[in-house]
Amino acid sequence: MSQVFSEILDVSLRSIYVSGFATLLSASWSIPAAYLLSLRRRVVVLEALIESLVGMPTVLLGLLLFLLLSSSGPLGFLKLLYTPQAIIIGQAILITPLIISTCYRALRGFATSYLELALSLGAGRSQAVMLVLRESAPGVAASTIMGFSRAVGELGIAMMVGGNIRGFTRVMTTAIALDVARGEFESAIILGIILLVLMIMTAISVKILMGVRAQ
Amino acid sequence: MVIELRGIWHKYPGMAAWALENISAELTSGRVILVSGHNGSGKTTLLKIAALLYRPLRGDVIVDGQSFWEMSEAEKIAARRKITYVHEKPILIRGSVLENIAYPLRIRGLDSRNAAERAEIIMEELELMELADKNAKELSTGQSQLVAIARALAAEPELILLDEPFAHLDGERSRLVAAALQERRRNGAGIVIASHGGGELPDELEPDEVIVLEEGRIRR
Repeated sequence: MSQVFSEILDVSLRSIYVSGFATLLSASWSIPAAYLLSLRRRVVVLEALIESLVGMPTVLLGLLLFLLLSSSGPLGFLKLLYTPQAIIIGQAILITPLIISTCYRALRGFATSYLELALSLGAGRSQAVMLVLRESAPGVAASTIMGFSRAVGELGIAMMVGGNIRGFTRVMTTAIALDVARGEFESAIILGIILLVLMIMTAISVKILMGVRAQ
Repeated sequence: MVIELRGIWHKYPGMAAWALENISAELTSGRVILVSGHNGSGKTTLLKIAALLYRPLRGDVIVDGQSFWEMSEAEKIAARRKITYVHEKPILIRGSVLENIAYPLRIRGLDSRNAAERAEIIMEELELMELADKNAKELSTGQSQLVAIARALAAEPELILLDEPFAHLDGERSRLVAAALQERRRNGAGIVIASHGGGELPDELEPDEVIVLEEGRIRR
């Protein structure tokens, strides 16, 4: 029994680590991209393109990454296939459109106004950007948390480029899939509950942060 | 300080009509200039160009003899620090009223204690002391407008540009603001006020010059 719990704990922590790292990685390019997008006018086509990519099937992205990272693929020399790093890269790419899209919505109209306000009060360019980031922090954080929620709950990428290797690349979603296939419903249900609690906590954090932003 | 607008033309992206057409004007310290005109006549655009926020499509903005948009980044910051602009719809930052008013002082390098002390002087002048610790996002529009004006004054600019500053203020607060602006004029600051329609100002503030805008052009 203790071995089951130890494995559940191991898988849960790995899920949080892998998806957390993927979220930070994705945020590092998605937030600046959303900021630059929010300062531009007439970005309807780009906005539509990004929004259409939000719902990209994870198995499709997983397949593309598998073809890229497999030993005969163009990036095979990196030897990343079936490693946690491959899942991190895949999840980071997966949640990029989601973070850009939600972050852009949080910043749209807002960034220009606060940038202008800061400049009108004598701020330098970097001070103005700092003010915009400070004022938009709750909205930006909410976008990032949504990204984490999407990453931790995906299955296709973790399965296809992670390989579901026990003690190495097995995360909550792949472990649940395997447990169900084996008929081990008890540990699948426990992992499902942990995943659900994580999602609910994430959703509550988003609500709280959005509430702060509205003030 | 002198800001010269030379042959300014400006148009917004996607708009066919010019927002401003061939505007030339001189904004100097120690004078009150009223920019009057109906909604959409180009008052806000003119003020934002004069406040060095918008780059005009044509024409030049000369600050103390030097073309602003040709200046280095450091020179631009130095020039902008002599000017403050108050938006028609007040924009306040997250935090207390005191933090808002101290913000321009903080970005000029004052420590929090000195910035707060100077902010308090302005707050007393505009009778805002009782709101000092209040969350700025919880203020009424009139209170927000007053805080935005106090914040612009806190930086002790040489030129203050205000877009419809009295629109949300009652009679008493309007007189308070007018008296504060008049005091700055006496001390050598220039005041530029955009006001729609008839462009009436409180009695305390007599304009030295009136610029009337009509569909982006100065009516002679």
